[in-house]
Amino acid sequence: MGDYALLYILFAPFVGAIALIFVSNRQTMLVRGIAAGSALVSLLASLYLFFTYDHVKAGFQFVQRFEWSRQLGISLHLGVDGIGTPLVLASSILLFAGIFVSWHIKDRMKEFYIWLLILAAATIGVFMSLDLFFLFFFYEMSVIPMYLLLGMWGSHTKKYNEMTDPEGLKQRDSVGFIFNFGSNSKEYAAMKLVLFLSAFAVAALMGILLIYKYSGLNTFDILVLREQAKLMNIPVLGTTLDKIIWILIFFGFASIAPLWPLHSWSPVGHAAAPAATSMLHAGVLMKLGHFSIIRVAFEILPETTRELMPIAAVLCMFSIVYGGFVAYYAKDTKYVIGYSSSSHMGYVFLGMAALDYISLTGAVMYMFAHAMATGMLFAMAGWVYDQTHTRDIPSLGGLANRMPFISGCFVIACMASIGVPGTVNFIAEVMIIVGSWNKYPLQVIVAVVGIVLTLAYLFKMMRGLFYGPMDQKYSHAHDAVSAADRLPLMIMIAVSIGFFFFPMHLYNVVRSGVDPLIAKITRVVPVAQTGEGSGVRREASATPRTSDAPLLANNPSPLTPYSSRGSE
Amino acid sequence: MTFALTLSSSDLLLLLPEILLTSWLCLILIVDFSFPQLPNEQLAYFNIAGLVATLGCLVWFDVNGITGTLFANMFALDRMALFFKMFIVGSTILVILASIDYIHRFKFFRGEYYFLVVMSALGMMFMASANDLLSVFVTLEFSTLGFYVLVAYLREDIASNEAGIKFFILGIFAAALLAYGISLVYGETGKLVFSDMTTVQATPGLVIGFLLIFAALGFKIGAVPFHSWIPDTYHGSPTPVTAFLSIAPKGAAFAILLRMFFVALATFKPIWTLLLVAVSILSMTYGNIVAIAQKNMKRLLAYSGIAQIGNVLIGLATGTKMGSDAMLFYLLTYLFANLGAFAVVIAVSEAIGSEEIDDYSGLGRRSPFLAFSMLIFLLSLAGVPPLAGFIGKLYIFIAAIKEGLYVLITVGLINIVISMYYYLIVVKKMYVNEPHDRSPLKVSGPIKAVVYVCLAGTLAIGVYPQPVTDWVVSAIMIFSNVADPTASLPIPPAVIPFGG
Repeated sequence: MGDYALLYILFAPFVGAIALIFVSNRQTMLVRGIAAGSALVSLLASLYLFFTYDHVKAGFQFVQRFEWSRQLGISLHLGVDGIGTPLVLASSILLFAGIFVSWHIKDRMKEFYIWLLILAAATIGVFMSLDLFFLFFFYEMSVIPMYLLLGMWGSHTKKYNEMTDPEGLKQRDSVGFIFNFGSNSKEYAAMKLVLFLSAFAVAALMGILLIYKYSGLNTFDILVLREQAKLMNIPVLGTTLDKIIWILIFFGFASIAPLWPLHSWSPVGHAAAPAATSMLHAGVLMKLGHFSIIRVAFEILPETTRELMPIAAVLCMFSIVYGGFVAYYAKDTKYVIGYSSSSHMGYVFLGMAALDYISLTGAVMYMFAHAMATGMLFAMAGWVYDQTHTRDIPSLGGLANRMPFISGCFVIACMASIGVPGTVNFIAEVMIIVGSWNKYPLQVIVAVVGIVLTLAYLFKMMRGLFYGPMDQKYSHAHDAVSAADRLPLMIMIAVSIGFFFFPMHLYNVVRSGVDPLIAKITRVVPVAQTGEGSGVRREASATPRTSDAPLLANNPSPLTPYSSRGSE
Repeated sequence: MTFALTLSSSDLLLLLPEILLTSWLCLILIVDFSFPQLPNEQLAYFNIAGLVATLGCLVWFDVNGITGTLFANMFALDRMALFFKMFIVGSTILVILASIDYIHRFKFFRGEYYFLVVMSALGMMFMASANDLLSVFVTLEFSTLGFYVLVAYLREDIASNEAGIKFFILGIFAAALLAYGISLVYGETGKLVFSDMTTVQATPGLVIGFLLIFAALGFKIGAVPFHSWIPDTYHGSPTPVTAFLSIAPKGAAFAILLRMFFVALATFKPIWTLLLVAVSILSMTYGNIVAIAQKNMKRLLAYSGIAQIGNVLIGLATGTKMGSDAMLFYLLTYLFANLGAFAVVIAVSEAIGSEEIDDYSGLGRRSPFLAFSMLIFLLSLAGVPPLAGFIGKLYIFIAAIKEGLYVLITVGLINIVISMYYYLIVVKKMYVNEPHDRSPLKVSGPIKAVVYVCLAGTLAIGVYPQPVTDWVVSAIMIFSNVADPTASLPIPPAVIPFGG
């Protein structure tokens, strides 16, 4: 394994998908076995990756590089830093869990697993790309499987106006409504998702092409571009080029994140998608946005990021509050979870916008934690839907009698989503809040209000689904009893709780990726001191991290020549 | 001007592929007349044997670097001509394979069908080598002649007759424009060979002359505003002819356009860039927007073809070596995706007798193979990774952004999103909608072979384009004099045989 871990993680699902083409749909267990097997290879390799990632050495590790096109300056350059590593792990956990969540799919199971594997592999590919071309390549590649997964195995949603309170017109998602033509079909949701994401993706592609042209280096390699590209202070159209590129990149990728007001595709898409797709979608696909912004905008245009990131700080408030309120009034389980995801992604933007060591570390950890929490919620919403064939909260109730295991897990998932101590979400949320307080106190207050809102709508949904009187027509609903049904939930719960009690490796890994980035953006010169570096690292303090310097300075990675930091 | 027609045997060697195909053409006629009872398939495979021999000959030329000019520069055999000849012969082979089942719809003249297809291919091979205006005219008309007949081959079908008449009238009109343009250019400059025209002055007559020539070639490639024949002709023609018409003549016409703009008019680059940018924007936008409303698969592919040609014109508009590389690359990806899509249309229409998009409902259940192939081809046309079309589009955009054609790229990028909509409508019909009739579809062997070849091409170029980029870059070496920063990069002279 060793150095080739990334190749295993990336190509195992692809190989699985190709192998599935040659299997008949009738051999159910073989189809499941191949899908689960390839996901397991990917999962094991990413566990290996996560636990052997050397956070002291930091930088990009497990680097693989294959020349792909000389003329265009493209190479398949793979590597993970502290930010990519946990996200790769989250993707492969969710893929593995998603395979089991969709264990009972009847219709065209083989095709379902093929597209699910391709979706997950493409997502994983983004998290490990060190080449702008391949970052976009995998990003765009993840969009089309979504169309097929939604279109073929999705479910129709209720009419838009019935989704929220009929009287409460003000609580309706009016921004989303602009782009919503009142259709309730899954085809509509799928088409909207693909066109919306593609439209913004081409904006990001324009930004990437502009970087390519103006760097003049004839390469897409992020590591080369971030050191050598000189994109600053080129006047264009009354502003400077770097700002235009940054805006294109930021909003191009923020659409998938989804940042308010670009969120309109997301709840519709979540609601229409089958459970495993929603899990991957909300769990990791949304994080492609944040990750790509970090990888492209933060790495290549640090100065512009410092200048323009307040845009995100303003918009993230709307994301948090808006998503929270709409989720509170929504009546469809998946709408609630979808809007809650889009609200929670606002925290990540807040953590990113503050450009602080602690807050960005918290943001990345929150991405990981949210992947688990929202994965659990969608898995269980999917289970309830499979049993009752409805997602309408008012018509459900009292399911705790029929499905004690699911309702127990649901409580844990709600706790995780809210960020109750005992789950890794708590650590991440606290870090975002503490880290951003100095810079954006208003946003932090909004974020805390958002937590209260989360509590309100999740408990409201939990009460509506599992407690109170039960409609007798749901008396045939049964619990998740078999190991295959319980396994995905157990995995996600174990990860979520496990990292609360043992967060240090996760923290160290993320921190090792965040440190050079923030140092570059804020140009804070770390005072070079020896000793005690690792001891101080163990605290989550709000002050700029000065004591990290020795760890990084003593072990400069050949790939990340931060020699300039010392001279500044 | 004097033509010294002193041909040595080594000169004739340069014409070997054409001579080979011409003699094969005669042989086809003889065989067809002598053995009228010969089954269709055998005649088709006999044709393919000749074409494969020609292709082998072209590959041999390419590998050994056999190039040169003939007839006082009228006929140029360079690497670019070889590329286009392989492109044409390759697509002809695939079209003939795809026709084998379709041909039973013709009541008469089944043997002549093959003859006409190969004759058009021969004309287009000459087109790829046409190096002066006279040979442009002659070869262009030679290749179109076969198509006039082929388009109207379904004699009982009124749509096919309409297509034939429309194509004929507009084609003759374009030929007249071409002849008029050539006469104006010759009158102004006294020159016919492209490479002699590099020093000409821009006089009104010359400008009008070249505009007329461009209009005639624009008719051939189907760029807006010369596209009006495309939808009806594509719709009415026999489907294999539509497939042929949508690929091979475009390649041949682009060979001429490349020679005309990059050699003859190299000094007027700032002017014709504007012209091409305008035509490209119009083609992409018009083609994509009108395609949304289509209900017939062939019409949809016709309009999408107009848009794709707009994309290729981006490469031409850059006027750089890299732009022309990207054009060739894009044409190759377009060959596989478009021909594959038409092969699926043929297979479906053989099975259910319809080409309406509505009748593709539930194709994913009735024939997973055809639906999956169609999905891949349409997504490649839309430009979705990891398929060839994505790399092609990106290559062209990279070439264009190096020249600073921002407006063109912006329009091109927006058009990707528009095109995704109507391609996905077809995908939706195939996969999401339930079939009216659940009986599985039968796909015949030859069509399957075409689809497999196109699938392999689309996926292989998308996953690893390096061999193909090497090939197109070395094929266009003749234009390395065109100002281009990347031309100075060391490019190894790798030679990759066709389809690799």
